[in-house]
Amino acid sequence: MNNPKSAMQRSIIYILLSVTLLIGTLYAGFPVLWMVSSSFKSNTQIFAYPPQLIDDSFSLQAYTSVLSNPQKLRFFFNSYLISILVTLCTLIVGILAGYSFSRYNFKFKRLLNMLIISIQAVPPITLLIPYFSLIVTLQLYNTYAALVLTYMVFTLSYAIIMMTGYFNTLPRELDEAVMLDGGSSFVALWRVLVPISLPGIVSVGVYTFMIAWNEFLFALTLTKTNDMRTVPVGIQLLMGQHSYEWNEMMAMSVLGSLPVLILFLFFQRYFIAGMTAGSVKG
Amino acid sequence: MSKIFRKSTPLIYLSPTILLLTILSLIPIVMVFIYSFMDNVVMNQNPKFVGMTNYVKIVTNSVFLQAFSNTMYFTVMSVVFHLILGLTFALLLNARALPPFLKAIFRTIYILPWVFTAAVIAILWRLMLNPNGVINYLLITFEIIERPVEWLSSRQLALHAVTFINIWAGYPFYMVSLLAGLQGISEELYEAGTIDGANQRQLFWYITLPQLKPIIISLAMLDFIWTMHQFTLIWMTTGGGPIRATEMLSTLTYKLAFSSYQFSHASATAFLILALSAFVAIFYVRQQKAADE
Amino acid sequence: MAILFNKGNKKMKHRTFALPLMLILLIAILSSCTTIAPQAAPSAPGAKGSVTLEFMQWWEPELPAGAFRALMDEFEAQNPGIKVQLISGPYSTTREQVVAGAAAGTMSDVVGLDGAWVNDFVKQGALANLSELMAQTGYDDSALAAQIQLNGSTYMIPVVNFVYPLFVNLDLMDAAGIVNVPTTRSEFAAAAAALTEPLSNRYGWVLPLSLEQPNGIQNDVMSWVWASGGSMMTEDKPDLTNPAVRSAAEYIKGLYDAGVIAPGAFSMREQDKVEEFVNGRVGMMISSMAHINMIRERNPDLKFTIAAVPVEDGYTGKRGLAYASWGIGVAANSPHQAEAWKLIEFLMSEEANSKLSSIANAFPGNINSTPDFVQTDELFGAAFEVFQAASLVNEFVGLPVAEELMRLFAEQFQLYLDGSQTLDDALNKAQEAWMAHF
Repeated sequence: MNNPKSAMQRSIIYILLSVTLLIGTLYAGFPVLWMVSSSFKSNTQIFAYPPQLIDDSFSLQAYTSVLSNPQKLRFFFNSYLISILVTLCTLIVGILAGYSFSRYNFKFKRLLNMLIISIQAVPPITLLIPYFSLIVTLQLYNTYAALVLTYMVFTLSYAIIMMTGYFNTLPRELDEAVMLDGGSSFVALWRVLVPISLPGIVSVGVYTFMIAWNEFLFALTLTKTNDMRTVPVGIQLLMGQHSYEWNEMMAMSVLGSLPVLILFLFFQRYFIAGMTAGSVKG
Repeated sequence: MSKIFRKSTPLIYLSPTILLLTILSLIPIVMVFIYSFMDNVVMNQNPKFVGMTNYVKIVTNSVFLQAFSNTMYFTVMSVVFHLILGLTFALLLNARALPPFLKAIFRTIYILPWVFTAAVIAILWRLMLNPNGVINYLLITFEIIERPVEWLSSRQLALHAVTFINIWAGYPFYMVSLLAGLQGISEELYEAGTIDGANQRQLFWYITLPQLKPIIISLAMLDFIWTMHQFTLIWMTTGGGPIRATEMLSTLTYKLAFSSYQFSHASATAFLILALSAFVAIFYVRQQKAADE
Repeated sequence: MAILFNKGNKKMKHRTFALPLMLILLIAILSSCTTIAPQAAPSAPGAKGSVTLEFMQWWEPELPAGAFRALMDEFEAQNPGIKVQLISGPYSTTREQVVAGAAAGTMSDVVGLDGAWVNDFVKQGALANLSELMAQTGYDDSALAAQIQLNGSTYMIPVVNFVYPLFVNLDLMDAAGIVNVPTTRSEFAAAAAALTEPLSNRYGWVLPLSLEQPNGIQNDVMSWVWASGGSMMTEDKPDLTNPAVRSAAEYIKGLYDAGVIAPGAFSMREQDKVEEFVNGRVGMMISSMAHINMIRERNPDLKFTIAAVPVEDGYTGKRGLAYASWGIGVAANSPHQAEAWKLIEFLMSEEANSKLSSIANAFPGNINSTPDFVQTDELFGAAFEVFQAASLVNEFVGLPVAEELMRLFAEQFQLYLDGSQTLDDALNKAQEAWMAHF
């Protein structure tokens, strides 16, 4: 492309793109930068005016006090364990259900679909009391299982809807070919559809992980001992009756977000073009 | 064997879902539904059946109407801007002009708002929007405003401020899903479009958007339902105030349940929210039906 | 149609096994979800004859690390056979936890209480009648500073109390040329005006009116009424339109209109208020004495003092002083009520109560206890004087839906400050809203 006009157009596009990206970065990143900056300040300096990004109260004290506290480390461990379990279980159950909705026609399909969507329309806060009684009756109070199952309920609707959507975009010829070769629908699902839908699965997985990682109300209500509690509860424990430990709260949420970000960075390659595109040529 | 087997296959695939949702979701919901017809449950040891009284009380309450209109504003604005921002960022990050490592970095930056728990987001924005906070400071320094603005304490601004925070906190969810969806659009479609002489805008309107439509509809519907009962963010930034400027159905429900101990009224409100969401759900299912055929 | 994806072809023969296999896998996964979790110590029965009391409270995280546990260890040493398991949560959600626990029958044996919750918990049937427990054990209640009663029976005992005096920034006072700490409303208004300098971001007073935590109504608004001997109640009904409430509301409106109140009041919480003071941006605030140590810790250079809340000009009667308590109660469905009472007895004993009030920087709930900071610390000494000279008031304690009452008042009060309604309208509407709950 030696055409000078096209080169100029290109550079204009490039500049526009960079500017938009930078504005976006500022919008998305500045509040987080402020959180990080606050986590290094003293509680007093967080409220200082004029505010400074880094001031002379800079210290790692908030981080050391979180990391040197075995109870808080336990919160992190619990959060990871629960979030990972929830993600795996939701994905498996959600993929199966999504496949069923996408590929089969059966009685009550629409009704079931409606139900799955509507049940999440009830504000969780109103469910708190009956749900809590139910968990106690099932003898799951203060167990990981209570939280894992609860978050599965929270995330399953989304997983099913999204998986149905992704499977719908894949032509039925794919599984029909498998079946013609003598494979079952199950084989078609795991061997063909799932690998193709990995980007969708990863994004549902990321979502599920986030919900499980960040939920507070049920995490608090369904557990009672500190060895069962999660990071969001730990953060709220820093919000005292009379004063907050602002910097520790910020430090704890920064620490909590780091592994999640690393996880995301790692799974990013699944978003890269070519995984799904053009698998079926018409 | 295969006929019966084939017929039951979809149900076998659905069985774990049905089992889990029936026990852990349907039962409590039915309980709440029953509560909504009773005379103050939980506080009253022997509640009586009172029919629609609770619903009538809620709907005729002037606060309910205000909460309803605030919720609608909050929800619609959030969904619209989530979609616009999410799609814009997804398209930006999908642009071929960017080298892969830059894409990776920007993707990570752009999902940042998503990795924090709502309580922390609320606290962080309270700090930043404080009259002495950094946002006022920056706006004053750049001479956009003269005096600090009380973003969250002003009746005129609070609802917009809370909506803004929610938009910030929620767009990455769209971005990630749409990014995945963009990967699924066949290259050939674009090639064919280009051969037919379509420009970038036309490619976007006639290829990208229609291809993403199913995902967008699912996302928007879910987001609508979730945003309707967004609670923590509003509660921890404004508590529904000042006065009733940011009162939402969710904060109203919470106050009814845990501040007034009117669990029956709270349950009735919950079911009104459910009824509203059901409209959206019906719309979605119709859409699915159309896609099926 | 050409299919590019056909890696798995060879393995697609096992059609008959696939479904059962899948089901097994599924069951395995689902059950692993439920069993991986070790059943967390179900309130360890321990040795024969020993009882484990669950004690749910928000105090442990508020106190120095390990301090409250040490006190419990002391109790366990004195009472072999009783173990205490502390269940700690954030203050802001303790109430929900108690309500949910009571509804599900899993409420802890002993619970920390705020006076504002008692009425509703009693209505819910969640709390045991402590008067009966006292009678059964022949407890002498003469040393208890207060008991929270409903229908003549005690349901909560305040363990320690935090009073709400006036905090004054002495540096700012000096800079503004004010020598004496204000004792009357007009002195306070004058001082607040002198302290206010909007250009350098300094204000005379700070008023948190958040609707999320509406306790600013109790601590920062009603304090003015109570200080001058006023009341917001008649016998047992709200009386918000009386002259005492009127004049306090009007007074605060005057301060608001004069621009001496720090901006952001309508969404400010107690925790924000104190940060404004710590940063030297407000000259005066009414706040919990629990903040004394926190202010010192966060800003060691800040010179401040404590005084009684100013009164109406010319008022000479006994001053009222707002307070908040860490109260304690027993679950109605606890099988270990006798043991639970022993724990309360311990916490209310002269020695343990002194210790707890010392570590909490609060005033004791046992009239014979003296926390050690009263002698050793000048500011706490000052607070103690204020405390002794005043009568403690908190009319919200024991009222039904007390927090909701504060919120209802806050909404009307915000409208009044805002200029959207008159004083009469605000008080009449608040009164009407309150009456609906009585």
